[in-house]
Amino acid sequence: MKNYVMGIDFGSTTAKTVILDVKGRIVASCVGNMGAVSDDGVKASVKGALEQAGLTQEDIGRTVSTGYGRRMLEIADKNYTEITCHARGAVAMMPDARLVIDIGGQDSKVISVDSNGLVAQFAMNDRCAAGTGKFLEVLARAMQIELKDMGEIALQAKQKLKISSMCATFAETEVISLLAEGNDKPDVLGAVHTAIASRTVGLVSRVGKRGPVVMTGGVAKNVAAVKHIEELLGMPIHLPPDPQIAGALGAALLALDDFRAMNKLPDFAEDDSIDDAMNVARACGTGCKGSPTAGSSNPSWWSRLTKKNAAESNTAPESVK
Amino acid sequence: MNTTVQETKKANKLAATKPGGKLVNEYWEMVFRAKEEGKLVCWYEGSAINPFFQAADVVWVHGEAYSAMLAARHLEGPAQKAAEERGYLKELCSYARTHLGCAVSNQRQQNEPDSGYVNMADDKNLATRLPAPDFIVSAYAYCSTGQQWDEMTTRLFGKKIPIFNVSLPWIWGAKPDAGYLRGQEWEETSQYVAKQLRDMVKFIEQQTKRQFDWDRLRELMGHVKRASELRLEGMELCTARPAPATFFDWIAAIAPINNLPIGPHLVDFFQGMKDEIALRVAKGEGAIPNEKYRLYFDGIMNWNKVGWLAEKFAKYDAAVMCGRYTHFAFWQEPGLIDLKDPILGMAQNYLICPNNHSAPILIDETMKLCKKYDVDGMVIHASRTCRAFTNPQYMIAEAATKRLGIPTTMFEGDVTDESFYKDELLNSRVEAMLEAIDAKRMGGGSPSMVSDMSFLNRQAAESAPVTFHRG
Repeated sequence: MKNYVMGIDFGSTTAKTVILDVKGRIVASCVGNMGAVSDDGVKASVKGALEQAGLTQEDIGRTVSTGYGRRMLEIADKNYTEITCHARGAVAMMPDARLVIDIGGQDSKVISVDSNGLVAQFAMNDRCAAGTGKFLEVLARAMQIELKDMGEIALQAKQKLKISSMCATFAETEVISLLAEGNDKPDVLGAVHTAIASRTVGLVSRVGKRGPVVMTGGVAKNVAAVKHIEELLGMPIHLPPDPQIAGALGAALLALDDFRAMNKLPDFAEDDSIDDAMNVARACGTGCKGSPTAGSSNPSWWSRLTKKNAAESNTAPESVK
Repeated sequence: MNTTVQETKKANKLAATKPGGKLVNEYWEMVFRAKEEGKLVCWYEGSAINPFFQAADVVWVHGEAYSAMLAARHLEGPAQKAAEERGYLKELCSYARTHLGCAVSNQRQQNEPDSGYVNMADDKNLATRLPAPDFIVSAYAYCSTGQQWDEMTTRLFGKKIPIFNVSLPWIWGAKPDAGYLRGQEWEETSQYVAKQLRDMVKFIEQQTKRQFDWDRLRELMGHVKRASELRLEGMELCTARPAPATFFDWIAAIAPINNLPIGPHLVDFFQGMKDEIALRVAKGEGAIPNEKYRLYFDGIMNWNKVGWLAEKFAKYDAAVMCGRYTHFAFWQEPGLIDLKDPILGMAQNYLICPNNHSAPILIDETMKLCKKYDVDGMVIHASRTCRAFTNPQYMIAEAATKRLGIPTTMFEGDVTDESFYKDELLNSRVEAMLEAIDAKRMGGGSPSMVSDMSFLNRQAAESAPVTFHRG
């Protein structure tokens, strides 16, 4: 029997692949840049993940795809929307999460979820990329700074400026004007991130504010975006170690669901060695005794699990040896 | 959507709506012939005041109907282009922009023989063929664009066209006794509009220079009343499982109930729909071959995409059961019409335009409709250029989630401007909602979990910069 499943998130800006073994261990994850409109990026991502795991496609028992290109992948057995996959992946990384904020290359979404990672309600941006990764890319180019440095620079803002335009293209014009008026780059970037936060929190209000909140997608790696959203939301935001792969992870978990059902594997048993951490986390993950909007003031479940896993990080899954 | 194979599933549309196409063509040909036949022509938008014109032997042009017809036939381009060239922005209601474009085209044809239009045979004809109005009646509930649109039309025709305005006030529903079709506000507003309709008749008499034929109006309203009763009876039958007809069948039946010439054929049309629906119920035949989901559609129609949307939802095994546009409008309360003196009942039907209620009343009625048709989810079309329809949509979505526990999804499109519509945005949103419905039905089960994240931890620790937050 094949012992692995794969999830692929064929996004607009990057392609992400996650491979799980049949016991639910993550054995590989790879992010590839899409570049021009083709499937080269996703092929590179899949290849990268297989190489990491020391596997070939023949070892994969089930593949699920997601993202805008989800229907284009011949290797996928099934596809689900990003909403379903991000919800699932986010809750897998943070079981107490009840709100997922995902900001990707060209879209942003807010999803309220239950404890199984099932979608209760969701909202997405309209036909405009303002507030998404593309918005930041455009502005990085206009300001001649590296995209990866934007967050750190924005955190140095001292003055509160305002970007009033709702359009990514006109925001670029506004940014150029603000710089021409002599405003510092950190201050201008601060305003950019406030604009992103404003649009994101607008989506949250459509779905309903509740906690704990986890953020996924490439923009979650931007410290300023996270900080500004937190401030405007009035709630802490939790980040998984790799927020960008949430969709692919969710897709892989859906692939695992199918694989288990098809091969009549028994109900998923939690790893006994992490029971204690998970039980403690579930008991008091919100620290709120039921208040849906209270943030988590306790150390996260994630922290206890990652510390435990870090201690055991030299143990590779048996099937990969 | 967890699709493995792209299957072709076709919507099982009602055959009884097919004669509607012929009726629509005959009506527009009647309009195009009006001047040759020496008839006066009235342009109007919004409320179905055509019975008054038909009774007065005046040919009527319903602006939205013409714009919708152009869009449904993908012939709206030249008219919209003409309007934009004249200075009307794309953000303007595209119904208005299309119709005003027809007015512009008409004027250009009159004044500029060499207008520069070449090689656009049919397109050019339809955009330019509307006869100029002899007078205009503006009777538009809620939508201020509608009233201004009529004003703009008079300007396009050199401010020489007489115009009569019927004010249809908004139903605030704020008084303690307020509710759907009840309360002091409702009674007073109904009388206010009824009086204006009588004044409108005097205006028509002034334009036609003949006495208004009240007997003819009563006769026409007899047909309208019966047709709308049959329409509602047909809608009632659609609560069956599987649904025998969908929202898109009722969309195809809007022209007959809204603006086509009235007569016994109208009654026959809706009798035909009801009979076919009843037969399908008896046979257990559904409008969707494999009905798995029942949805509510809020918002006005994307006329450029009607057929396409009908097939899309069929492909998703989703029966769109009902919607605000079809189930809250178009002579929706025939019981109010007293055939001896139909004016008050007509006034009241104009007032219950679905956008004309305050949100609490609208939301209550929407929730009742969703429960009646036992819907699993709500799809909301946010029309880019129709603020009237989109204004309460977030509130409706919130109510659906809180009161009914059903998921909702929203997509942006437009009434008659296709450029505001993006297929993939609709696809991903509707599919996500259907996946959520599926997951809820399965009850969660025992989902797979991640048992070991150490790989990700190592990867995160190795890559820089790492933006852990509150670890």
